[in-house]
Formats: sequence, C-alpha cells, structure tokens
Amino acid sequence: MSYKVTEEGNIATVHLDGEIDMDVTEKAKEVIFPHIDAGKEVHLNLSNVQYMDSSGISVLIESHQKALEKNTKVIIKEVSKSVLKVIMMAKLEQILNLE
Amino acid sequence: MSELAHTNHTEKKDFLVRSSSLKDVRSFCREVFEKLHIDQNLKDELVLAIAEAAQNIVKHAYKDSPDTEDKMVVQISCKDNKLQIGFYDMGTPVDPGKVKHREIDNIKPGGLGTFFIQQIMDAVEFKDGKKPWINHLVLTKQL
Repeated sequence: MSYKVTEEGNIATVHLDGEIDMDVTEKAKEVIFPHIDAGKEVHLNLSNVQYMDSSGISVLIESHQKALEKNTKVIIKEVSKSVLKVIMMAKLEQILNLE
Repeated sequence: MSELAHTNHTEKKDFLVRSSSLKDVRSFCREVFEKLHIDQNLKDELVLAIAEAAQNIVKHAYKDSPDTEDKMVVQISCKDNKLQIGFYDMGTPVDPGKVKHREIDNIKPGGLGTFFIQQIMDAVEFKDGKKPWINHLVLTKQL
C-alpha cells in the first residue's frame, strides 16, 4: 500500500493506493489517525484501492468512530465498485460517510 | 458464471503463516479462478472469503506465534460444478463452537471476516486435521 496526503485548511485528503489487508492496516492507521486526532476533516480517497478485506473495513469503522469522538468526520470518496461491495456486505453504507 | 466453470481442476499451494503471505494467497486464488473461467464478480467474492479464512489462521490459530516458520496449505478443487476450498494448518486447535462473527448491527472494528465467509460460501466446515495438520477447514460453493 502506498499513500499520498494533501492538506488544505482543515481538510486532510488521504489517497490510499493498493490492496488493504491485515498486513497494511497498521500503516493505514498511522497515516489516517494523526489527522483525525488533530481535529481535521479527513477525506479518504479510495479510487486506487481495488481490494479491501475485513481488516480494511475495521480501519474505516475505527476512523469513523474516532472522528465522531473528535467532533470531526471522515468522508470516503471515490470508492471503487469492488470495495463498495465489501462495505455493503458489512452493511456500512448508511453508517460511513460515502461520497 | 461461465459455462467453462464446470472444468474439473485441483491445485494447492503452501504459504508461510504470516500476514505478508495474504497477498500471495490472493494471487494464487485469482490464478486458479482464471483457469476455471469464473466470472469477475464471483471471483472477487471467493478471493475475499479465502483471504479471510487464511487471515483467521494467521490471526487466531497462530495468535501466539507471530514469527512461526509453519506453513498453511490452501487447496482449491472444482469437481462437478462444485468448488471446494481446503485450508490446512498446524496452529492452535480451533473450537468450531467459538467461531462466531459479531452482531452485524453492533458497529465496531473486527469480527467481520467470518461473517464475510458465511455470506459468500454455501458451507463452512471444520474437519479433523489428519497428521501433521491440526486444523482442516473446508469451504464449499456450488458454481
């Protein structure tokens, strides 16, 4: 997994690239969580993520819940069809902020 | 499903029990399913189910041995239009009664892998592992 982060004002946009599984979840958290902890609104761009398993879904849930605690939000953007299918299988499409 | 998915075929491969092996497990599955001419949609689901089962071996059966040199075997068989995926490992014995997913409406991280496997596959069965194996999991799906 690789990533790119851009920041503009209070918005941190995190682009993840590759397959998100148990092997990379810690790295994904290290990339995403500091921005949430800093109170930033995080835009998580998943256009280049073609595979995500339950570990990746857990990162999305944890990010979402952490953001709520910090009175901010994580918006998931440009989710690929294959990842959306997994999100829907987990019945999270109404819980997570998808755009 | 493609008509060619009826092809009878068996392949197996071993992998080090590590989280870094999961991408290799997925690659192996994708290659086999390509040979079986399974359509992309079903292929994605099956790869997810298999990767989740392999992840459970790493995460649970080898919870206390993260640096093990043990290998797990994944065997994919297609016979008479029925897909059977076998997993063999030498980790801590699994108590099938304790393998449960979390309540799906109780939103929290974790506990989804088994749910995905059950959603995707027709049957999930723990069999007695024959030596040297401790655990033998079989997932089946009618094509």
